[in-house]
Amino acid sequence: MEATTDVRQNGTDPNRLGEREKMQENAERLTYDLQNILVESKAKALWRMLSGFRGIYAVATVAAGLAALGRTGVAYLLRYFIDDVLQVEASQWLIPWVALGFIGLALFQGFFTYLTGRLAAQSAEGVVRRLRNYIYDHLQRLTFTYHDRMQTGELISRATSDVDTIRRLYQDQLIGIGRITLLFLVNFVGLLFLDVRLALYSVIVIPFIVAASIFFFKKMEKTYEAYQNQEAKVSSRLQENLTGVRVVKAFARQEFEIDRFEAENYKKYERGKELANLHATFWPVTDVISGLQMLLAFYLGALATINGDISVGTYLAYAGLVINVIWPIRGLGRLVASISTGVVSLERLQQIIRQQREPLGQGTHQLRERLVGDVRFDDVSFRYATPASAADREKAIATQAEEEPNVPAQIAGIPSADREWVLQNISLHAKPGQVIGLLGATGSGKTSLVNLLPRFYDYTSGSIAIDGIELREIARDGLRAQIGIVQQEPFLFSTTIRGNITYGVGRDVSDEEVEAAARAAAVHDVILGFPNGYDTMVGERGVTLSGGQKQRVTIARTLLKNPSILILDDATSSVDTETDAAIRAALHRLMENRTTFIIAHRVQSVMEADQILVMDQGRIVQHGIHDELLAQEGIYRRVYDLQARIEEDLEREIAEVVEATDKRLAGDAGKTNGRNGAVTVR
Amino acid sequence: MSEQEHFEEEEFNTQFNGQTVVRIAKQGLAHWPLMFGYLVCIAALAVLESYFTYLSKLIIDDGILAGDREALWRIIAQYTALMVAQAGLVFGFITCAARLGERVQYDLRKKMFARLQELSLSYFNQTPVGWLMSRLTSDVGRVGELVSWGFLDTVWGILSIVTSLAFMLYINWQMGAIVALIIPALVVVAALFKRRILVEYRQVRKMNSKVTGAYNEGITGVRVIKSLRREEENLDEFGNLTGQMYKAAFRAAWLSALFLPTVQLISAVAVGSIIWYGGWQFQTGSMTIGGIQAFISYITFMLFPVQEMARVYAEMQQAIASGERIFSLIDAVPEIQDRPSAVEPETIRGDIVFEDVDFAYEDDKPVLEKFNLHIRQGETIALVGPTGAGKSTLVNLVCRFFEPRAGRILFNGTDYRDLTLHGIHSRIGMVLQTPHLFSGTIRENLRYGRLDATDAEIEAAAQMAGAHDFILELENGYESEVGEGGVLLSVGQKQLLSLARAVLSNPEIFVMDEATSSVDTLAEALIQQAMEKLMQGRTSFVIAHRLSTIKQADRILVIENGGVSEMGTHGELLRKRGHYYNLYTKQFRDEHSAELEASMHEALVTA
Repeated sequence: MEATTDVRQNGTDPNRLGEREKMQENAERLTYDLQNILVESKAKALWRMLSGFRGIYAVATVAAGLAALGRTGVAYLLRYFIDDVLQVEASQWLIPWVALGFIGLALFQGFFTYLTGRLAAQSAEGVVRRLRNYIYDHLQRLTFTYHDRMQTGELISRATSDVDTIRRLYQDQLIGIGRITLLFLVNFVGLLFLDVRLALYSVIVIPFIVAASIFFFKKMEKTYEAYQNQEAKVSSRLQENLTGVRVVKAFARQEFEIDRFEAENYKKYERGKELANLHATFWPVTDVISGLQMLLAFYLGALATINGDISVGTYLAYAGLVINVIWPIRGLGRLVASISTGVVSLERLQQIIRQQREPLGQGTHQLRERLVGDVRFDDVSFRYATPASAADREKAIATQAEEEPNVPAQIAGIPSADREWVLQNISLHAKPGQVIGLLGATGSGKTSLVNLLPRFYDYTSGSIAIDGIELREIARDGLRAQIGIVQQEPFLFSTTIRGNITYGVGRDVSDEEVEAAARAAAVHDVILGFPNGYDTMVGERGVTLSGGQKQRVTIARTLLKNPSILILDDATSSVDTETDAAIRAALHRLMENRTTFIIAHRVQSVMEADQILVMDQGRIVQHGIHDELLAQEGIYRRVYDLQARIEEDLEREIAEVVEATDKRLAGDAGKTNGRNGAVTVR
Repeated sequence: MSEQEHFEEEEFNTQFNGQTVVRIAKQGLAHWPLMFGYLVCIAALAVLESYFTYLSKLIIDDGILAGDREALWRIIAQYTALMVAQAGLVFGFITCAARLGERVQYDLRKKMFARLQELSLSYFNQTPVGWLMSRLTSDVGRVGELVSWGFLDTVWGILSIVTSLAFMLYINWQMGAIVALIIPALVVVAALFKRRILVEYRQVRKMNSKVTGAYNEGITGVRVIKSLRREEENLDEFGNLTGQMYKAAFRAAWLSALFLPTVQLISAVAVGSIIWYGGWQFQTGSMTIGGIQAFISYITFMLFPVQEMARVYAEMQQAIASGERIFSLIDAVPEIQDRPSAVEPETIRGDIVFEDVDFAYEDDKPVLEKFNLHIRQGETIALVGPTGAGKSTLVNLVCRFFEPRAGRILFNGTDYRDLTLHGIHSRIGMVLQTPHLFSGTIRENLRYGRLDATDAEIEAAAQMAGAHDFILELENGYESEVGEGGVLLSVGQKQLLSLARAVLSNPEIFVMDEATSSVDTLAEALIQQAMEKLMQGRTSFVIAHRLSTIKQADRILVIENGGVSEMGTHGELLRKRGHYYNLYTKQFRDEHSAELEASMHEALVTA
């Protein structure tokens, strides 16, 4: 709260102010932590999740009770009207007031019905809003390893449809159960006040109806699932056909496809009929049971009236209340059955929340000054860590590999001692401003090595020091602010080009600065060619950028970030030849005055580096500058020679082919003095 | 997902279209016994329910007030019998309506699927798969719902109101008239209200797809977000989205919470009027207590039909829009059809000639103009060029997935438009870049090449394609499941299978789109061998990515920006030092990068 006031005082730019206000609206997000819903009991978890909304949720429930009371009131007013007004000569003047009373009761009942709906919605929407924000934040703060093994689609489905199930649970189902129960109780009490014996006669079958309803809807769930599964089969059959449309056409298999689709389609129709049969059994059966119960009540009530035990007005009130008590009960089963779905969703969300976050701000050393960029590795080894505590590990074993927070799936469950070292005994010293080239095959450990620098993973043993500070002691957020990464496959966000360039810079950036960065990254002219220049949207709803263009946008982004340590992950390999030179130039500008680590597959990319490390199987096998390494027997020279040989081969081959063709053409020209092909292309 | 939404939003505002409604109704009438069944049941039910209220009146007036136990017993007995009959009617309408709904869905899906099989490739190029999918799923669902429950609820609603009104007029015509005046207000308010709510929920859906998009980006881009430390701002932006979603959803929710109380209030006014007027009439003796009670019941229970009709009305618009989209698909005319005079060719072997061919995917962007090419029987043509340059255009034309806009393509001297599509397609063998397999066993997938092939023939084809060995190594051999889209197999394996499938079909023209993604060396060699065998003696078109394939071709076409920029043999094109030269040298280096990789590993072993 203090922070936001502060911002408002400082905010001078009116546009910015609007944005800050919006953010202030969301300041609430900082005040809660959903870790407390990680409890065994699902009921407790649901209760805790409701924190902050418990009051209004309780009011919603009470309002549902009051609405039920309104309905009881209608019956009592009717009794009063018949017994004390209508049949009493002297009270006729009250008739208009009774009429208004009915309208008043409708207002009363309507108001509380509305209040229930509104407050339940407010609680439910409020709870899931928090849940959405928390899950989103949690996901972006989980470790690399977690994301390495979870599928995007799976996470999204949890974050959307499971969250929606929770919403329905609060908004419709739990309150619905409360509403029906209260409706029953309040009206039943109303019945008891009319006549105890009659009241008891009118609820004989209620337990049976409740049981039948719950039994039916449980069964229904299974049949419905079968129906939905069949629908999924129809869909996937269809999808296969549509994505394989070329194959279908190429083999002229239309008839065959129609027959196959027909099989699944018809099966779905059959499943639908099964579903219909269930409904067609349940509703009439409970109709008859409830109907007979109602008639029994009517009959007994009517007899009691004839005998003079109760008044006519009482009979009318009684008949009305009996209807209120009996019919809504049948819907209870549906609500009860739906709770089990909600519990499954809750569990799936808890699995995400249970994962440990990366502690971004944790560390004894908070970086404030700009780093000089002196990087020292001393006998560093690394392998994927096991869970932090014994308790965590137990949980991991109990709830399968998925629960283990920091380990890729393929090695989960293997004791740490047997896990393979990803990096072993790495020692190196990068002086400020130096360029370090890393050469090695896929899986040799190059990427793992640089991933240690921003603390995406933590090293297992040895020491890494940046500017003399032990890396483990530096807080991650400050550290990452000073490390720039240009990835092999650049990732752009679906916002404007400008938004992408300033993405994550963390300060206000002027348009001039953005353009300067884009110019330096050799992408300014490209951007001006887009329909809305810097404000063009990227992605589905905007322009599609080529690999090279994306690369240069990320270079511009990194330039603005102005890191003191730079990591280039084979940044030129995915780029076509024409733009290669432009990107190279941009990269060179980017590397100026920064300690740079270049991951490379080709000698050319590292030739000019101040130090070249050749890596294999997690170790540094060669270390030196280009000339030194060339003089040694080893991988570097092999690769260099091989590359040179490939170029030679290429040139020789082309020369041979061209020569042969020249000869043939010369011969042809001599023989036919023309060409026989039907086409010429210029 | 968002794309589908987009399409739907666009077409949501379709005006009420009587023709479509009639056509939708016809879908139900095709199964008229079911429709007739539910209509009879629901009509009888509506009358019966109104009569029940009348019976309740009789209990009071003829039983209780008259003090006649015998009459009371008679009424209750009648009531009980009718209650059982009612259960039968409920059973009847649920069975008929639910079946009809499913049946109509089934019919529509069947029709649409059959039409989709006939439509030309151009249709599929213009229409996203997701869009088509939702035609056959959610749209069909809506129409099925309308034909069954929508019509049913409407008939029930109208009949309930009419019969209730008839009973009320019968009991006391003046009071009945008062109620009759209030009903229209009730119906109109309810319908407008429901529509408003529906519009609000559309807004919620829109927000929901934005939130989903944000999740998607947050998860796929998580590594970049971490390295740029953008967590805080992202959360703020996301918080904004969920904030907006909260507002939209809350608004929609409280509006719908307001619906019932509003309608109830209107009917309470009706009840109030009845009490007032009925109380006065009671004094004159023209109204009984049972009558007043009956009126209150009729008005109270009238809420249900009004609610249902309002719902149907609100949803009907969507269902009609769905129906229109469905019918537009069913009515779509395939761009490429057999001419009436088309003949089934005996063979399509022979030279293939492009004669002054003009072609364009879009009207203002010509791809080929006055294009001529003569391909001799048995020639292998390699198509090379950057991705997206239009290499598949030529192949699409040869396969007659598209037809020239002007000019002709001749197979063995005959314009191929004089031949049947089936005749051409069944004689072309095709292997796609990303080999498409159908879920099912390997044997089933291979048999796709020729449906009447024996097991021995299938295995022979697999052997020829070099797939036999790896198939036998799988746990269930030829009966192994390949998974949806073949996910359980490697790319190389899938390619071998699709080659075997093509071998089995024994095509006269062979078309291959080589995979760009690398497969392991062994598979690579096997694929190469299988291709060579298939290309022998057949006119072949290869969209080529491998140097070995390119070099072996009789002719190479370099495709750039949709057109043919260079053509000739390997040597001729290298000599030019043009586009082909650049492509070739780049490819040469790329192919050898695998060798480089290997050299980096090997060295340690020797060291």
